[in-house]
Amino acid sequence: MASALRPAILRHALGAPASTRALTTSALPAFRAHHLAQRSPLALQRATFQTSTKRAILPALPQVIRGTVNDPVTVRDADPTHGSYHWTFERILSAGLIPITLAPFAAGSLSPVLDGALIGMIIVHSYIGFESIITDYLPKWRVPITRRILEWGNVLAVFVVGWGYYEFETNDVGLTEGIKRIWRAGSSSSSSSSSSSLTS
Amino acid sequence: MALRLASRRLALKPMPYAFSRSMATTVGNTKEPLGAISEATSSSSPPLSPKHTTTIKEPSPDPESKIKTFHIYRWNPDEPSSKPKMQSYTLDLNKTGPMILDALIRIKNEVDPTLTFRRSCREGICGSCAMNIDGVNTLACLCRIPTDAGKETRIYPLPHTYVVKDLVPDLTQFYKQYKSIKPYLQRDTPPPDGREYRQSKSDRRKLDGLYECILCACCSTSCPSYWWNSEEYLGPAVLLQSYRWIADSRDEKTEQRKDALNNSMALYRCHTILNCSRTCPKGLNPALAIAEIKKSLAFQ
Repeated sequence: MASALRPAILRHALGAPASTRALTTSALPAFRAHHLAQRSPLALQRATFQTSTKRAILPALPQVIRGTVNDPVTVRDADPTHGSYHWTFERILSAGLIPITLAPFAAGSLSPVLDGALIGMIIVHSYIGFESIITDYLPKWRVPITRRILEWGNVLAVFVVGWGYYEFETNDVGLTEGIKRIWRAGSSSSSSSSSSSLTS
Repeated sequence: MALRLASRRLALKPMPYAFSRSMATTVGNTKEPLGAISEATSSSSPPLSPKHTTTIKEPSPDPESKIKTFHIYRWNPDEPSSKPKMQSYTLDLNKTGPMILDALIRIKNEVDPTLTFRRSCREGICGSCAMNIDGVNTLACLCRIPTDAGKETRIYPLPHTYVVKDLVPDLTQFYKQYKSIKPYLQRDTPPPDGREYRQSKSDRRKLDGLYECILCACCSTSCPSYWWNSEEYLGPAVLLQSYRWIADSRDEKTEQRKDALNNSMALYRCHTILNCSRTCPKGLNPALAIAEIKKSLAFQ
């Protein structure tokens, strides 16, 4: 709340006589960017508070108080599709992935339907995961265009990856068998012969 | 005058009560010259010759002292162009109270009066002195100073907050969010007996672990999800408070309260990182409250 009063403090500092103003180096934050641009980047880095290299993807903006300090923040309308339904679906999917991942390796089943279900769930699961990352790190109010591009990119990735899996399943050995082979790659000749006997 | 009063107090002690003059004498009386008796029995001694006096030595460091260094974040809004900096203070732990807040108050009283921080109750009930001490958000009044004097303590304001000055964070957004959940009892029907809203013991027990929250903002500012999305995500403290009213058996607006949270941002930016439960200086569990809200929304 006190920072809401800060402009008043600033104005006070600027209105002060020159002798007192000389004690502070520069009082106006609007000049700050200009002031910093004059310095070399090395000196700038040394002057900053943190000693590690600066990697500000979305640097913090100046504080903005919408409405007065006594107004509550706006409450959005209920949207269960992106709220509770989304969350419940995501949890059921995540829980369902555990048995369907273990089943082919435990039972040794190589049913293409099971393989297809596993692939479908992995794709949807990773789609939700990436969507969550995009929602977390790219606020819609701040980078609306980047956000939309990445969201559509995520949808596009679902189809590209789905097509890749389709090719893998139809023209190659399939996901479960592929993982089995990679698991046994480079082991002794007896196990490699057993894996080759599996494919035959 | 102080000397005179002192000498009179000493001199008159063995005298009968009638001769003595209490300390509560009027101003006029204190201006009287010393009585003959008190002057004769005065304990003041003649001045010593320089032969018997010594020069005052330099104060030597006390071998028993435990000097600890505190690095404290400083930033002054009156000098907005200067960068925030860390300032170091050293204190003898033997002369300081046990808590970080004692150290801060001692620094402010004896070393640097410009050091700014919030404090009020000094017993963990007001939540004013929330700050980041040695990397953990906690209340300075509930955090003991690590007695290992070799280790230096670093004190910062709450992370990812706009700083007003030094250790004082700006909690405007936090309070605006708290206001948005309507933290008060909402009812349309009057109580059945016309007197008060009654609650069973088991219903009351549901509020334990929720009502103790003092809104110090330690948990919210420790949550990475709140760091990135404090504009829209409510944060653990406000969600715990929201659940405190959802769980209240007397409240009749439970569904509206749930609907207000049922969107992608307000509640579901919680990714169960659990920094909130780890850091809470009151030992509460905001993550559990958030999980309860999610559960009640999932099965409605």
